[in-house]
Amino acid sequence: MRSASDAAPARLPGKARLALLLAALTLAAGAARAEDLYVICNSGVSLQAADVRDVFIGEKGFAGSVKLAPADNASAQAGFLARALKLDALKYSGIWTKKSFRDGANPPPVKASDAEAVAYVRQTPGGCSYVTTAPGAGVTVVAKL
Amino acid sequence: MPAPFTPLLRVLALGLVLAAAPALGADGESAQLAEMQKKLDKSLAMIEALAKRVHELEARQTGASVAQAAPAPAATEAPRLEAVEQRVQQIETANAARRGDDTSLPIHGFADVGAGTANPFTNELKGAYVGNLDLYLTPKLGEHTLSLFELNFEVGTDGAVGVDLERAQVGYQFSDAATVWLGRFHTPFGYINTALHHGNWLSTAVRRPKFVQFEDQGGVLPAHTVGAWLTGSTHAGDGKLTYDLYAGNGQEIIGGVLDMRNAGTVHGNPMVGGRLGYKFAGALDGLTVGVHGFVDKVSDDQQPADLTRVRMLGAYAVYDTDTWEHIAEFYAFDNESLAGGTGTHRSEAGFVQLAYRLPRGAVYGRYERASLQQSDPYFAQMTSVDSGASYYRTAVGLRFDVDLKTALKLELANTHTTDRLVNDYNEAMVQYAIRF
Repeated sequence: MRSASDAAPARLPGKARLALLLAALTLAAGAARAEDLYVICNSGVSLQAADVRDVFIGEKGFAGSVKLAPADNASAQAGFLARALKLDALKYSGIWTKKSFRDGANPPPVKASDAEAVAYVRQTPGGCSYVTTAPGAGVTVVAKL
Repeated sequence: MPAPFTPLLRVLALGLVLAAAPALGADGESAQLAEMQKKLDKSLAMIEALAKRVHELEARQTGASVAQAAPAPAATEAPRLEAVEQRVQQIETANAARRGDDTSLPIHGFADVGAGTANPFTNELKGAYVGNLDLYLTPKLGEHTLSLFELNFEVGTDGAVGVDLERAQVGYQFSDAATVWLGRFHTPFGYINTALHHGNWLSTAVRRPKFVQFEDQGGVLPAHTVGAWLTGSTHAGDGKLTYDLYAGNGQEIIGGVLDMRNAGTVHGNPMVGGRLGYKFAGALDGLTVGVHGFVDKVSDDQQPADLTRVRMLGAYAVYDTDTWEHIAEFYAFDNESLAGGTGTHRSEAGFVQLAYRLPRGAVYGRYERASLQQSDPYFAQMTSVDSGASYYRTAVGLRFDVDLKTALKLELANTHTTDRLVNDYNEAMVQYAIRF
């Protein structure tokens, strides 16, 4: 005679399994949620959140008397373009091609990581960039997206 | 003793299997759940086996370490990790300090080739043609100093390759509201002369309207000026006010072509002009409207030379969004003959181009018309590529973006010339334009 322990592994009731499935799916969806984005500038820069788009497409070059020096962050660029500028990489590239040709402006340099972006902003007067982790002291958070 | 993380792995595996499973429909629920249960059981068995193996290996390693009386791994690794962390931090700081464009001079450019029943600039030539190779440099010289140099290699109607220093301008940016440029620049009138100059990839259409073409390709306007240019923008209301003021060498007509006098003028007459625009925001975002004008005394190489006071006043509008690209420009001339004594002459020219953007390109239609007084020496002496003649043209076209940097364009056009030589002709042309 087979004991209970010899039997096939106990199965959860159907409703409980469905509830577990839903919970797992909810957790998975949570993991896919977009990361936080912090737009940061050098502590000497006074900028409004509404100006972020203009700064990164070259329409705003100064904050008061400070010449702005925006830098892209390759590790967070796709999210930033979609959420802050409402652009994809194709349009962003096209905008800078036209801007450069018309006005002689150069597109922002590209930093590879959050750490590089923060270091750039800290040490560059007028520097602005964006990161996915809280940047810590030494920079100004202009917007959190 | 079982590995301590086995229960955690079980929960993780359960979550992964459940998360990976597609949503269950009511009909197939039991069957799919049974299938999932099987997979879960298999996964759990595998995890247990792996956990057991890891546990055995850990136990063996610990035993070996004790036997050799080696120092604890943490004790030897800590200084090494600290050194690596320090090195990474140094690299990040060094990379952050690099401005990219400061340490090199990137060359950008545009090029195009094409074919058709007519050359884009004259219907006297047919077949394939080489268009432009346009190179531009934007060396960054300092925080406030800007520079822009543009070289264009183009093939004339005689087939010869010519090189033009299209732009050579050095500027100083005081603020967003004021940048001053000195040198040779694109004369700021209308929209397309500064926004869609050389570089056919930039334009939706295959070619510019005929009367706004470059000076040596049929245009009647001074597309380039050598002098000084003050430009800027400032917020006004919800939108932005833009302005341009410029003064440069007076133009001359030499060999039937309007010339911007790169090296200076003999007569010393200046050309002065300006443009004022307003960029809307909010519901009208993408719309720009403005006015433009210039005054110039233009002489020519006739004997005796003509001298014409050219006064142009006009308006333009652009609606550029993700869906539409509409451009309209209008120019009214009130010219006065100062040497020939033929009095004043009024002429006008304009175009409207409507374009609808597609996911990868655009379709467009354009109507353009120029009614130019042939008794006005300014237009009468422009004879290269029939530039000073009156005409009207209707065109439709398609732009297809092959990829990020390549556009294939097709244009069909019908043109009537209405004074010097009354004519009517159709054109079909294809253009392959790139940027790099």
